[in-house]
Amino acid sequence: MAADALTLLSIAEAGERLRRRTLSPLELTRAYLARIQAEDGAARCYITVLQEQALASASTAEREIASGRYRGPLHGIPIALKDLVMTRRIRTTCGSRILKDWVPDADATVAARLAEAGAILLGKLNMHEFAYGPTGVNPHYGTPVNPWGHDRMPGGSSSGSGAAVATGLCAGALGTDTGGSVRIPASLCGIVGLKPTYGRVSRAGVVPLAWSLDHIGPMTRTVTDTALLLQALAGHDPADPSTAVAAVPDYRRASEADPRGLRIGVVREVFFERLHPDVRTAVEAAARAFEGLGVRVEEIRLPRIHHAGPATFAIITAESMAYHEPYLKTRASEYGADVRARLLTGQFVLATQYLKAQRARQVLRAEVDGVLTTVDALLLPTTPVPAPRTDEREATVDGVREDVRAWLTRCTRPINLTGHPALSLPCGLTSEGLPVGVQLVGRHFDEGTLLRLGRAYEAVSPLRDRRPSLAA
Amino acid sequence: MASVSKELLRTIAEALARVPVDPSDLPGIEAQLGAQLDGLAKLDDLDLQSVEPATVMLPPREAPHGR
Repeated sequence: MAADALTLLSIAEAGERLRRRTLSPLELTRAYLARIQAEDGAARCYITVLQEQALASASTAEREIASGRYRGPLHGIPIALKDLVMTRRIRTTCGSRILKDWVPDADATVAARLAEAGAILLGKLNMHEFAYGPTGVNPHYGTPVNPWGHDRMPGGSSSGSGAAVATGLCAGALGTDTGGSVRIPASLCGIVGLKPTYGRVSRAGVVPLAWSLDHIGPMTRTVTDTALLLQALAGHDPADPSTAVAAVPDYRRASEADPRGLRIGVVREVFFERLHPDVRTAVEAAARAFEGLGVRVEEIRLPRIHHAGPATFAIITAESMAYHEPYLKTRASEYGADVRARLLTGQFVLATQYLKAQRARQVLRAEVDGVLTTVDALLLPTTPVPAPRTDEREATVDGVREDVRAWLTRCTRPINLTGHPALSLPCGLTSEGLPVGVQLVGRHFDEGTLLRLGRAYEAVSPLRDRRPSLAA
Repeated sequence: MASVSKELLRTIAEALARVPVDPSDLPGIEAQLGAQLDGLAKLDDLDLQSVEPATVMLPPREAPHGR
């Protein structure tokens, strides 16, 4: 197999070859490093590439596998991390100028868990500065190129993660999701992205944006690969008291179960308002495809979910301002203009508004819990529009002009507020050839059902086996 | 969309929050805040009287042993 073709294998496919020793970790890692060297100057997905370290880790993996010490399906798999995941002795910039030379002295729990599973770290990925924005446009490190449309936003804030996975510059990546930052770039770049349940994956050692909304999740080219990464990441961590001591199931096995007989609820309020027509067509087709898989699809209502937008605004602005206040007092000019203005907005949110939002959160979480007693998952668009052009600030759909940032997060941020797991899947292309994402939302700690539905859908998705031009 | 004057924002920043704001940032702040103030006021439509705020550091109640 040609070296370049190795970079488009799924994690599961590559992992099986590694296990059987028909492919070596060094061969696979070299193939990714060569592709990064050839493409990333233009693609701008990486902030830091760890060539020597990756090759050393691959050599170690090769020796371990050869001597029978096979660690599992991530052993020898080259992955990359969003550059706010702390990595020991490796700079962690958060996509910012302020932290451009910061070298942590410890690994984040998620980085350590992936290393323990035998994954090879290729490098640290570009992102929206301090994860505070859904566009992925970065004034300090450049904007990662969306391989489906080179003048289009990759989506953020995990922009480098989304674009790198779609382009074949890593086998899988981690992103973080505070208002949609895993699912939005997954949708805009045509890949799979999972925001797990709040409390499922440790946030220890990951630079926060908003403590009560932050989630960490996998971004991959297939649902099975998401299951494999989640398996390594999930579980209680004493260093993060928000993580649950809940059993971690076998996600791959869960994903392989037949979805027939499951029930999906389609929520029209908020989520289906002011949709780009091609997004509406693709998401409606996805709902019909689930029916074809033997899943019962019905309409359900969330009559109070429109309160989620202002509630998340109050929480994310107040919490992010609280974290960044020391820097804003002394180094404000080093932030990009859009992120600085968004952060500073937090000082004008009243404490009573913040607490009201946290109380509203309980009501909305109970409302979603309530409908999830009658259906197994909700089906929503991931983003109401496909990838906007990188210079677009506002867009008009159905005669309504709206800020692109508000538009991109409308369907994702309510689920950060409620903490439910949400899986974004590619479900079609627009007439301009841009990917569309559909989102499945499940019960707390029931990622297995989402993976089960997602894997079955993937087999009939119109985007199966389609590659963007840069990754072809 | 509700409006908040730039002068008021500047006064709050200087006198209460004590985080300096460059005048060039005020239009962006004004727009973001203005777009959300009506929605924040409408949170009163929810019956919150008997609802305690969500806590930051606890997972959902479905995982009662989470600590």
